[in-house]
Amino acid sequence: MSASVSVLVLSSLLAAAPSDAAAADPDLVDVSEADEEPDEYGPFFEDEAPSDLEYLGRARPGRLPVLSLGEGAFCFVEGTYCKASMILSADIGAGIRAPASDEGPDVPYAQFTFRGGVVIRPSMIRPRKRKAWGSWGIGVVSSWSKGTGAVSFGTDGDLDDAKSTDDTTVFRVGAINQMWLSKRNHAAHLDFTLGGARSDVLTSGVTLWGTHAEVGMGFGGWGGLFLSGDFLDRDTRVVLGFRGHGIAAGPIVAMALAGLAAGGAL
Amino acid sequence: MNLSLILTTGLLALQPTAEPEIQRPSGSTAAPAEDPAPAEDAAPQEAAPAEDAAPQEASPAEDVVAPAEAPAELAPAPAEPEPVAAEPVPLATPARDGERYVVSAGAGGPPFYDEADTAALRARHGIDVEPLERTEGPRWRCLIADPACGRSFEVNALAAYTYRGRQGRVDGMGEDPRWSSGRAQYDFWMNLPVMTEIAGDKLFSRMTLGPKGGLIFSDGGSTWGNLGMAFRYWMGRGRWAPTIEFSSALTFKIGERELKDVGEPKWKMTRGPLGFTADVGIGLGGFGAIVLGGQYDSPLAREEIPDEYRTSAGGAFFIGFRGNILWGGPAAAAVATHAITQRSVDTP
Repeated sequence: MSASVSVLVLSSLLAAAPSDAAAADPDLVDVSEADEEPDEYGPFFEDEAPSDLEYLGRARPGRLPVLSLGEGAFCFVEGTYCKASMILSADIGAGIRAPASDEGPDVPYAQFTFRGGVVIRPSMIRPRKRKAWGSWGIGVVSSWSKGTGAVSFGTDGDLDDAKSTDDTTVFRVGAINQMWLSKRNHAAHLDFTLGGARSDVLTSGVTLWGTHAEVGMGFGGWGGLFLSGDFLDRDTRVVLGFRGHGIAAGPIVAMALAGLAAGGAL
Repeated sequence: MNLSLILTTGLLALQPTAEPEIQRPSGSTAAPAEDPAPAEDAAPQEAAPAEDAAPQEASPAEDVVAPAEAPAELAPAPAEPEPVAAEPVPLATPARDGERYVVSAGAGGPPFYDEADTAALRARHGIDVEPLERTEGPRWRCLIADPACGRSFEVNALAAYTYRGRQGRVDGMGEDPRWSSGRAQYDFWMNLPVMTEIAGDKLFSRMTLGPKGGLIFSDGGSTWGNLGMAFRYWMGRGRWAPTIEFSSALTFKIGERELKDVGEPKWKMTRGPLGFTADVGIGLGGFGAIVLGGQYDSPLAREEIPDEYRTSAGGAFFIGFRGNILWGGPAAAAVATHAITQRSVDTP
């Protein structure tokens, strides 16, 4: 009988002993951390494979995008983890100016362009997703170009009566769609732009609206290559060009103007 | 007896006995370190073997407090194996030429290979005995080219002496002039590593290749755009490692100073067909390179082009210095070359 009492006392005391071992167990994971798990899968949504190797110059993990505000909420240079970005670039390009066959000969065409705009990444705008990433970007861009002039036939296609212009000014506005191809720094992305172009048409002296289309490939926001076309009434221009961000293009333009001015060419 | 049992039970119950320790595959030491009173755990730890041994030697019908009465009697004697002295065992296997196998003489534990063996292993696999470890990072967040960078971007300026020429026309009109001039070129390079090497846990770019583009200036207000590819081979891992550079690009005329209008020699847009330029350079780190190159301008001479809009073929060879504008000097040299060329060279 006494043994049974002692057993009961012992059992009750042992049961009443506080146990916080479960709370201190490091293997247990807070359920709230599951919020950080991605909810999309596929090659564009998986993280980069971890590597033991890295460049000394590699940006530290968690470092904010270059020239950004609000932890990537807005970037002055497009970046992989920027939710919204400013576009500011300059480019040069060359191609061909192809009038309608009865309007004039195909002639080489070259231009330089200044471009600006804004791009957002809709799928990255999720407040509780700190490391959210999305491949799609959409925005508005506008550009101004100065290109080489046109050559057109005279009346009845007479070469002796050919006319020409010194240069061509083009203003464009359009919608840009981006597809980012990876999550690495300065990731490559494809840009598709469709909009309108307002420009002089050949040697007519008339300014008209036409269609502007462009496909490009960029590396982060620093620059890239593009193929662009302006399609106006009987006046088509197709250009292959190279584009650089304003931070890189600005000094080039400044040095070029300084050299021209100092040399008396302006 | 009952009183002693109750007292013993109470004392045991008051002990800060934790739950039975969960056996884990890895012996983590984090949990014991967080224990606020490790000294008080001495008693339970000493008693633990007795409790563990009780179910083995006592029958299940016995009182559960029985192990506490005789912990010393039931405590299992430690049966640690006697350390066996390692005796040297001579190997009868003959060593082949160039290889050394040294068996420990039993004097101690590992390592069983000495420095000579390690050196032989390194030599066999071509591993540097003292690898050149680099710890300092690149400058300006890789805006100055560096083998320690992955993808990087830079703006280069070239100042060069140029020997230009222009081909005459087949109809006998015009001459075949050649003249000395200058060349200023400003390019934006995008360097993408296409071949890397590994040193320790660090990656270094051995070869970079990427798109580039920019503007070229010479006398007479001649202005070309160019877009192409830039290649750089690093012959080292340091900031000032020697480099071999090669670039080629399509060139196209953008403008020049109108020579026909003598009264108003202003710069204006000028068309021209695609040509190309290429150069090779020997450089020093991301500072700059001595560059030797050439350029060719295609003629615009199709039949349907009126004569007044046709152009002749031309070209140039140049030698100069190309460097990153962040150093200041290369940029100043290029601007000065540009200006001097405009003022001092009479374009034929």
